[in-house]
Amino acid sequence: MADLKAQIIEQLNLQEVAPESIGDDQPLFTKEGLGLDSIDALELIVLLQQHYSIRIANPEEGPKIFHSVRTMATYITENQTVKA
Amino acid sequence: MNIYINGTGCISPQETAQGGLLLATPREYETVRLATVDPDYKQWIDVKQIRRMSRVVKMGVGAANLSLEAAGLTAPDAIITGTAYGCLDDTGVFLTKMVNQQEEMLTPTAFIQSTHNTVAGHIALLLGCNGYNNTFVHRGFSFENALLDAIMILKEGSAQHILAGGLDEITNHSHQLLTRFGLYKKEPVKTMELLNSPSRGTIAGEGAAFFSLGITKQPGTVAELSGVSTLYKPLWEGEVIGHIMKFLEDNNCTPADIDLIVTGRNGDIDHDEIYEEIAAALFPETAEASFKHLCGEYPTAAAFGVWMANAIIAEQQVPEAAVFFGKAPEQINKVLIYNHHQGTHHSLVLLTAC
Repeated sequence: MADLKAQIIEQLNLQEVAPESIGDDQPLFTKEGLGLDSIDALELIVLLQQHYSIRIANPEEGPKIFHSVRTMATYITENQTVKA
Repeated sequence: MNIYINGTGCISPQETAQGGLLLATPREYETVRLATVDPDYKQWIDVKQIRRMSRVVKMGVGAANLSLEAAGLTAPDAIITGTAYGCLDDTGVFLTKMVNQQEEMLTPTAFIQSTHNTVAGHIALLLGCNGYNNTFVHRGFSFENALLDAIMILKEGSAQHILAGGLDEITNHSHQLLTRFGLYKKEPVKTMELLNSPSRGTIAGEGAAFFSLGITKQPGTVAELSGVSTLYKPLWEGEVIGHIMKFLEDNNCTPADIDLIVTGRNGDIDHDEIYEEIAAALFPETAEASFKHLCGEYPTAAAFGVWMANAIIAEQQVPEAAVFFGKAPEQINKVLIYNHHQGTHHSLVLLTAC
């Protein structure tokens, strides 16, 4: 999950955010969490494609997949076929 | 109807964002490419928003905020920007990814931020300004046309306060391309010696300057924006001289009424010749200040010139670093800014002390 956090920081250009400061279960899209927005959601979809060759087939799954770093990691583990 | 400059803000290769006396500590460079001295943008922009902003967006938002703060405004009725190059950095990022990734998996951020009106849009979003928002992309007239639009809107009465500005950035890509066109000196040059350089080419620059314009004078207002005019591709210097005479006549003055001319000399022997001819023909005794050795050459550099002229009127003296010829009178009342970009885009801006 540390690698995934670093990838998220790089993809979203989260200045002044250290990987260790993102909690595994911290919500990504709420103000209390990381405070990401819809553009970030698109960036995360691209991240999954670029780094893990995963395409999200059902967009309705998005909120569940991108809830936290842990839910993203779980989805990657369950769906990854080829690691870039 | 008079139009007043109620506040200004400038981010440039000089320390213009810090306030204080104009060019109190001028920065000297020995280079062919100047870069802005950036203030701490976090004072105006939230960290979460700043991460998506390229340099030109940040410098635009910063200069706009400085201008509004100086005018004591929280939000203008309209926002008008002028930029020739727009958000080049994000354009470069987007196009590079497009090529490298064979047009697959392109991310939205760089594309969204690459448009020319990104800066005006960001300023409006940050201020919550839902009013008129326009960006002029007219090469060397981009800033002047933004000013003209602001003047027309103020005169027709559909706005009381307008934020208008000009901005451009250099990127590695753009600098390489423009260097190939032979625009810049082949060797680094000391900026304070640029205007006496005996060779072709100039130095690249960048920056943002914004003006809070209004139809009512504020307590800190020092100058009135009396007129703006442009002349495209004059055939010979006589056409420029005639244009200046007509412009001054339209503004009820003569060359003798001008206390200071601020010219866009850039150290290129080919491009500076016209300034010599204009000075000799119309302003042989008038003091002259210059600004492109301070900010570099770029299509909206006239915005820096207007910002500097306004500051000169405020302080009633020309800083030594900006003096090109003569000594300005004790009372600096009328300042004419005459600039041209690459010999094709000639512009005049007249400021009057108020």
